[in-house]
Amino acid sequence: MENFVFSSRAKLITGGTALFGLLLLIFSYFVDGGEAHHMRFWTNLLHNASFFTGIAIIACFAYAAFTTAYAGWFVQFKRVWESFGMFILPGIFLFGVLIVGLWMHSHHLYHWNDEAAVLADPILTHKSAFLNPVWYTGATIIILAVYYWLISTIRKISIDEDTNGTTDYSHHKRIKKWAAPMLAAIGFTSPFLIWQWIMSIDAHWYSTMFAWYASASLFVAMTALTIMLLIYLKSRGYYPGINQEHFHDLGKYLFAISIFWTYVWFSQFMLIWYANVGEETIYFKLRMDQYPVLFWGNLLLNFIAPFFILMRNDTKRKMGTLFFASAIVFFGHWFDFFNMIKPGAREAMIEMVAHHDADHGEEHATMDAHAGDDHAAAGHDDHAAAGHGDDHGHAADDHAMASHDGDHGDAADHGHADLPFKSGFTIPGLLEIGIFLGFLGGFLFFVLSVLSRAPLEPKKDPYFEESLHHHT
Amino acid sequence: MADAMAHSGVPVGTATASDTGRNILFGLYDDEEKLLDAVKAANADHLDIDEVYTPFPVHGLDPLLGLEESRLHQAGFIFGSIGCLFGFGFMTWVFTRDWPIIFGGKPYWSVPAFIPITFELTVLFAAVGMVTVFYIICGLGPGAEPRRLHDRITDDKFCIAFDATDLSSDEIDGLKGFFSRTGVESVHTKVVPV
Repeated sequence: MENFVFSSRAKLITGGTALFGLLLLIFSYFVDGGEAHHMRFWTNLLHNASFFTGIAIIACFAYAAFTTAYAGWFVQFKRVWESFGMFILPGIFLFGVLIVGLWMHSHHLYHWNDEAAVLADPILTHKSAFLNPVWYTGATIIILAVYYWLISTIRKISIDEDTNGTTDYSHHKRIKKWAAPMLAAIGFTSPFLIWQWIMSIDAHWYSTMFAWYASASLFVAMTALTIMLLIYLKSRGYYPGINQEHFHDLGKYLFAISIFWTYVWFSQFMLIWYANVGEETIYFKLRMDQYPVLFWGNLLLNFIAPFFILMRNDTKRKMGTLFFASAIVFFGHWFDFFNMIKPGAREAMIEMVAHHDADHGEEHATMDAHAGDDHAAAGHDDHAAAGHGDDHGHAADDHAMASHDGDHGDAADHGHADLPFKSGFTIPGLLEIGIFLGFLGGFLFFVLSVLSRAPLEPKKDPYFEESLHHHT
Repeated sequence: MADAMAHSGVPVGTATASDTGRNILFGLYDDEEKLLDAVKAANADHLDIDEVYTPFPVHGLDPLLGLEESRLHQAGFIFGSIGCLFGFGFMTWVFTRDWPIIFGGKPYWSVPAFIPITFELTVLFAAVGMVTVFYIICGLGPGAEPRRLHDRITDDKFCIAFDATDLSSDEIDGLKGFFSRTGVESVHTKVVPV
């Protein structure tokens, strides 16, 4: 039982799901045709790439934080987090696709990537020092490469300790020396990634809480995935030393970071709601009015459910309830990222079309045609959500904000007023769920094959014994 | 192990007559590991431990003593719920009935603005309520007479106490033998009110 054996059945299931997801991703490219700039494909790719790469980054962060803080309880399963961290390498590849798309103008995820729109818009011009393809490419690749370099170095030392570890614990001391800079590196630079990848979709909007908010979301998702994976590994007979006490502590992290997420969510919401500055409130106005399922479902899945399920002591100590709660919040935080990305991307697309149409002097005609195309393309559209278009404060805010292009105001209004229900944007459609499962399968396939290459338990780690006797 | 602190005082009065009080035989240990081993040994010998006192919560002691889970947090939940409803209800009454004022163009009944205060009152009620209940259960609080077997139980000693009121001298010798076998530091007796 030294190494995890990645059975051919598990390989078939995770690899098969990943392939299926890849097929669905390719299929989604053709669902939203050229008229919609293949938006469904690109948003799905960005959504899952940032979610799973983010989980890998946060696993490195947790590893570094616990190691630096002399924590012992997690040492038994630290190989799991090392394996999570190694997923940063495929993450670089996934973002490579997005970066190529950015330079080729194959996607319109980011409003700031449209030179004409940036020149016509003082806010975007002002932000273009940071929101530009060079920064996006450089920051993504350099920062992810540094993270990967740090975690793979730590993993090498950690594996070497299994065979060459001595009682002067020089390996552990070296891991600590690498973990401290990794903690600082991720702490200070991960906001750049989150701003570039996700927040800049709503290019006009900004929130100083956003990086906290997304990191908290990823931390919960990472903890939930760790719990589910450990329960699986235990059910296969691995990790005999991991017991209720470790799961209790992981469950406390799941509970506590869920509450922290809610705290950051509410802080961000309330500051913006109270200040009532048009360019800030538009983010929430759009989501509350046009995407109520996303907006309220997010709170239901990520606050109400874990709060009441995990509040009691015993639900954190029973595998069944803990697995159930983990599955809910893991999906919930994927849903949260959906809420961060999809409405803004759709909005950016509509605005972009409006700008282009205005340039051609045929705004209304094409906008209507575009909405019609949307309707036809998705097939399962439904105008049910179009009913609440009576009062749109943010449309008025838009006027104030974009007074420079008063001529285009009508087009903008038209875009905002009635967004029809659109599966894949208003709520996750079947394609999104399938692609999510595919990415999850790919992530697990990668993580489990990395995990099988080294002993599961770092038996010569100085804190290994403490971890065996952990008591909550 | 909040219970260990909860019972860190046993009724100790001025009564000396054994017919009005209980005769407590207790040993002091200087280390929590020794205490845990001693409790295990006592369980193996089927000795009837009256109470164990520790200056801080000791991991793994509750299951050895067969203690039930404290119900204090249920009181906390009830007090917290009262605080939550009180805070929200009070603000609702003030801003919709008693003294409606418009703040920043918001509606009178502005739920997001109420949430932080509702949260704070929930925490305040839960905390104050739990402390009060805890003090009442333990007979602590301002003006209460301190009741403890030995001063150093609240400092650095770990105590196992037996009720020796109805025991024969043979049985008491047996208990003293148990103490010396398990590495006790000192053994004392004290009469406490029932």
